[in-house]
Amino acid sequence: MSRGSLFGLTLAVATACAATAQPTEWKWELPKYVPPPRTPADNPMSEEKFQLGRRLFFDKRVSGNGTLSCSSCHLQERAFTDGRVVSVGSTGDKTPRNAPSIVNSGWHATLTWANPALVTLERQMENPLYGERPIEMGVNDANKAEIVARFRNDADYKKWFAAAFPEKKPAEQISFETIIKAISAFQRGVISFDSRYDQYLQGKIKLTEAEQRGHDLYFGEKAECHHCHGSVNLDDQFVHAKTREAETPFHNTGLYDIDGKGAYPEPNHGLYDITQDPDDMGKFRAPGLRNIAVTGPYMHDGTVATLEEVIDIYARGGRKIASGPNAGDGAANPLKSPLIVKIDLTPQEKADLLAFLKALTDETLLTSPRFADPWKTQAAGK
Amino acid sequence: MRNLRSLGLAAVAAGYFCGVSGPVFAASSETKPVSISFALMDDGKEVGCGAPLANLGTGHLSAKLHEARLYVYGFKLVDAKGKRTPLALEQSEWQYGDVALLDFKDARGGNNPCTPGNPAKNTTIVGKAPAGSYVGLEFSVGAPVETIVDGKPVSINHSNVETAPAPLDVVGMAWNWQAGRRFVTFEFDPATPVVKADGSKARTWMVHIGSTACKGNPATGEIVACAHENRFTVALDRFDPKTQRVELDLTGLLASSDIAADKGGAIGCMSALDDPECPAVFAALGLNLGDSAAGAGDAGKQTKPGVSPIFKAGAMTSAKVMGAKQ
Repeated sequence: MSRGSLFGLTLAVATACAATAQPTEWKWELPKYVPPPRTPADNPMSEEKFQLGRRLFFDKRVSGNGTLSCSSCHLQERAFTDGRVVSVGSTGDKTPRNAPSIVNSGWHATLTWANPALVTLERQMENPLYGERPIEMGVNDANKAEIVARFRNDADYKKWFAAAFPEKKPAEQISFETIIKAISAFQRGVISFDSRYDQYLQGKIKLTEAEQRGHDLYFGEKAECHHCHGSVNLDDQFVHAKTREAETPFHNTGLYDIDGKGAYPEPNHGLYDITQDPDDMGKFRAPGLRNIAVTGPYMHDGTVATLEEVIDIYARGGRKIASGPNAGDGAANPLKSPLIVKIDLTPQEKADLLAFLKALTDETLLTSPRFADPWKTQAAGK
Repeated sequence: MRNLRSLGLAAVAAGYFCGVSGPVFAASSETKPVSISFALMDDGKEVGCGAPLANLGTGHLSAKLHEARLYVYGFKLVDAKGKRTPLALEQSEWQYGDVALLDFKDARGGNNPCTPGNPAKNTTIVGKAPAGSYVGLEFSVGAPVETIVDGKPVSINHSNVETAPAPLDVVGMAWNWQAGRRFVTFEFDPATPVVKADGSKARTWMVHIGSTACKGNPATGEIVACAHENRFTVALDRFDPKTQRVELDLTGLLASSDIAADKGGAIGCMSALDDPECPAVFAALGLNLGDSAAGAGDAGKQTKPGVSPIFKAGAMTSAKVMGAKQ
């Protein structure tokens, strides 16, 4: 093939692409130490899809009664958590657990606190959307079509869905399938790698002395935080595009022991709720610790108010609850992970650890217009 | 994985005739339409739609039917020698591949019993089979892991509810938490509220059966294994679809259950091993909830193959009050 004809071919392809308005190619902008996340083959990233997903994420029309958006429980300024002990659904139901952050969730091997079956953001989203116990977004067979019609009847959304899903016929561009795909793409795109810790990893800054001592404790053999919070996401369920076999560990950290045999209180039995394996009582996924200083209250059930208390609990090797229905010494929980033991941290060491954990906060994430509510900034139409 | 392999083989066998494009028979074979009617029974009477229910559970209580839906699959006609011939299901909004959804509630969501003017949504399975002499029927309850459509294996239980064809697109039968489907959904509103262990009250006593302890393969995003299958097969040695129907007995389902109370876990039974309401419900269905003996490895399997005590063949009534929408 001559040079001339090759050029001609390229031109023809380019013209064809322009005619069908191909979505903008997505580029992951990540530090060198972060590999790109997995994306499902049937939901590739594009800027148009990310922006559509952002509009939907912040739009209450996605819920059955129009009162709740994804962002109602995932606030940007709190690193996409909600500051509540547990969240409240569109009809007033309380969720059993504390809203986890969506930040860097594209790298999670499993989503949610303790469910090995939910391995993609797309499948996870069916729970808040369709869940009945509790009701969160309140979408069901009876109102699904009506909700989709809200977007089909909106000229702007029609345009945005068309741009995000050009491969689909116009009549199929707006559906819960595409709503879920777009919101998932937005979630994958909400990334956080600009904390002081990242700037330190990139050689841009030095940590303070306290932060550095906390860092050394965290990654050292005394505090041993890194066993469960050691990946680049500071968890232990980190998967990326090239991961061949993902590990999905869950841990009992001695938060409760209400019967002396390791029981956690209803309705949060952890992994046991899914597997029914008695050894799985109280096992939960170790959350990533990025932005941990702004995501309280803590633990799966939001029962620990401050980061200082969290450190105290781990320092004593489990939580002791003196009285009430959940009384018991979690440190003595027979199902507790062997990695959770009493570590005699001095007040200075606790303060250092706290300083390091605060260095994991990414101000860019908390304030970036890219992740902000487009309806507030009137950027939705752009 | 053991479950998956045996199911896969069953699906292949069952699926041979079940292509969307129609069954593949030898040119000389004649096929004939077959329809299998189902009826929901309570206290010896046929019920459905918003029918008031009588004599339910250990308290012999009255209740209203809140939901009554189940997936069924793998229909086979049985000849006198025991040979099984698959029924090729007509493909419709209620039937896909060899899987169908039965729904005994009325389309209007009202409180009236089923009548010819207010039929249940779908109580009849429609298909074709080679002409022959058949004496019995076999089918399974649940959504299979996969089945064969157009000669290719298709994921069923764990398929995406958003993109799956009807009747696998029903959100109300999706069991997102287990990343699969609810196989059986029976929900009852007793005349007085259900009292929970902590003294609080609830309106609805529920039976949700589906595969549990499901685990995904993170490498592909596909769900491949559930530790507790919770599917079961019903074999009726004598069954004539022209004069008989398959009866599902709610009285039997709840015979050892108290629908006025809930001692823990989900209200009613949602297939959890530790739910105090589940042993009675699973026994009634003919399923092992947990292992029948330590190390038996038969949790989630049928107690006796082909037998579910709540299903039996019954005579078709002449006055078809409960006629399904056709």
